[in-house]
Amino acid sequence: MDTAELAAVKVDKSVDARGTSCPGPLLAAKKAIGEIDKGQVMEVLSADEGTRRDIPKWCKKKGFEYLGTVEESGFFKIFLRK
Amino acid sequence: MANKKLTLALFSGSVDKLTAAGVILGGAAAEDMDVEIFVLLQAAFAFKKENALVNDRVSEITDKKDEFLASLKRLGTPHWTEAFKQAKELTNVNIHICGFAGKVWHGEKLDDFIDLADDICGIGEYMDSAENSDINLFI
Repeated sequence: MDTAELAAVKVDKSVDARGTSCPGPLLAAKKAIGEIDKGQVMEVLSADEGTRRDIPKWCKKKGFEYLGTVEESGFFKIFLRK
Repeated sequence: MANKKLTLALFSGSVDKLTAAGVILGGAAAEDMDVEIFVLLQAAFAFKKENALVNDRVSEITDKKDEFLASLKRLGTPHWTEAFKQAKELTNVNIHICGFAGKVWHGEKLDDFIDLADDICGIGEYMDSAENSDINLFI
């Protein structure tokens, strides 16, 4: 999805992991994914560059759909669908 | 499909390597891996109840120890015991204290070690685990 499409996505769960370093955001995502239903969308906010690469790989391994990443000022919004 | 398995031979008792082990455990937990940790020699010192939270030894770049420890604090990095605990909460992690290593540091009983430890074992269990793992690490 491009930035405009991601901006229009209905987010069911937002995880703010900007205060943590690797692997904090990934573990925050792992904890939160259990709180949404299949088909729902989660965004992970992270200031960690490594997480931007980790979440898509994690999604592929766990069978989730990585939707894309939007770069904000000083952090990333990473979107995925369970 | 069975979970993938990580076997970690944890030798180091220094916070730099224990912190690295905690980061790797986080990755394993995110992927629902089964993890078997074997606490060997110097790591058994760090796992003793009286040492775990006060031990601040580092094993690499020792002249930058203060900078390293300050950076961990600045970055909000959890203490390695917290990282291990979090991994145990998120996936199947078993922590075995090597019986010999325990005795080196006067730890004869499981109760001599922090609650993260699950049992005291011999080297045979490590060999079995290592033979049947997808990933083997020595830290």
